[in-house]
Amino acid sequence: MTQSTQSNAQYLNQLVLQVAQKNEQAYLELFDSCAGRLKAYAIKCGSNPSDAEDLLQECLLTVWNKAPQFNPKTASAMTWMYTIIRNRRIDLLRKEKPNLLQSFDLWPDGHIEQSQPDDFTSSDLNDDVESDLNAKSVRILIESLPEEQRQIVYKVYFEGKSHSEISLDLSLPLGTIKSRLRLAMKKLDNLAKEQMTWLIIILLTNF
Amino acid sequence: MANYHPADELLMQFAAGQLTNALGIQAACHLESCSQCQHKVRLYEQLGGDLIDISSPVDVAPDAKSKLLAALHQQQATGERASIKSAAELSLDAFYEEQLSQANQRLPKPLRRFVPEYYDNLPWKGLSKSIQSYDLPFSDEQYTARFYKIAAGKELPQHTHNGNEFTLVMSGSFADLSGDYHPGDFVLADHSTHHQPKAHDKEDCICFAVTDAPLKMTGFFGRMLNPFLR
Ligand SMILES: [Zn+2]
Repeated sequence: MTQSTQSNAQYLNQLVLQVAQKNEQAYLELFDSCAGRLKAYAIKCGSNPSDAEDLLQECLLTVWNKAPQFNPKTASAMTWMYTIIRNRRIDLLRKEKPNLLQSFDLWPDGHIEQSQPDDFTSSDLNDDVESDLNAKSVRILIESLPEEQRQIVYKVYFEGKSHSEISLDLSLPLGTIKSRLRLAMKKLDNLAKEQMTWLIIILLTNF
Repeated sequence: MANYHPADELLMQFAAGQLTNALGIQAACHLESCSQCQHKVRLYEQLGGDLIDISSPVDVAPDAKSKLLAALHQQQATGERASIKSAAELSLDAFYEEQLSQANQRLPKPLRRFVPEYYDNLPWKGLSKSIQSYDLPFSDEQYTARFYKIAAGKELPQHTHNGNEFTLVMSGSFADLSGDYHPGDFVLADHSTHHQPKAHDKEDCICFAVTDAPLKMTGFFGRMLNPFLR
């Protein structure tokens, strides 16, 4: 991760913490730095431009209302906003298809969207160390994934495509899709293990 | 602690918000008690944040910012009154919620809105003495969701699957040729699985099963039972 993305992540964290203090100026700055990308998420997920604007409004209002629950030790501001727009998207879809589940059904405790300090079993120290690692590592990974793997991860996140649908989309055999996704997952998994290993090392050296 | 977990692909789809169906509820139930999978989902949520982070912004409507501020100020103007008014309602809601949840509070949270009672008191439908089922109300065109109760010591008819069957053990335990499954375990059987699950002797085994195609019974009794399984 470069210095600038690192400080950008910290800048966003600061903004959300200020929004938690009902700081409208910070809220407007947050709008300027994120609204275009949040709307892009909605569009990539298949919203038409007018629904995408509605989703953006809902998401940012929720950001204001839930900012006091934002905990930078648990997740970066962007990850936190991701869970918010993901959940609002599910709830907006439900308005059109009433048999769909609500985000509340899938994340009854809100998880990181509104995580309380006692939400996780790890101690504060754990959270500190872990989130520090969290903040650094994954973006390196997504940027290091080869285009062919990234393309499939995109389709899972934004289009909700199954393996067989992706295979049709890309005119590639199902086996190829599965093995590419498996490679990407393996990298993520190694990364998770690496995080855990570092966590253990850091915890051990602290005692 | 579970020994069998959902595949990483499934956890990623969950974190992507793309499992708004029976599989999502099932994954959420497993996650409630599995810190290992919780950790992975957090990682995939971070990946979601990163995907937004590295994406290029699109233009937002010119009035988007002023609309947002207007909505915010409106909320602030009415918010005080609304919250005073809803304080009583909220406590009443909480009271009813508590009453309602008495019967089913031992269920995983994601199921409580849908299942009114704990397993003992559900209106089980008998397929036979050894296996009963309870239909869950969130099946859709693609997935059928049910609880199955296999009586202690009983064996299911041997069967294969046309599609996939995702099973989460809720209570008790069962075994088949490939393993021994306990509460929290998440097992996937597909068309290549030819299995005959048997509940352990001491207690009934309750499973939460999500299928994307009807079961296909293969043994003699299986063929007889099959129509009832639809
Ligand atoms: Zn697990």
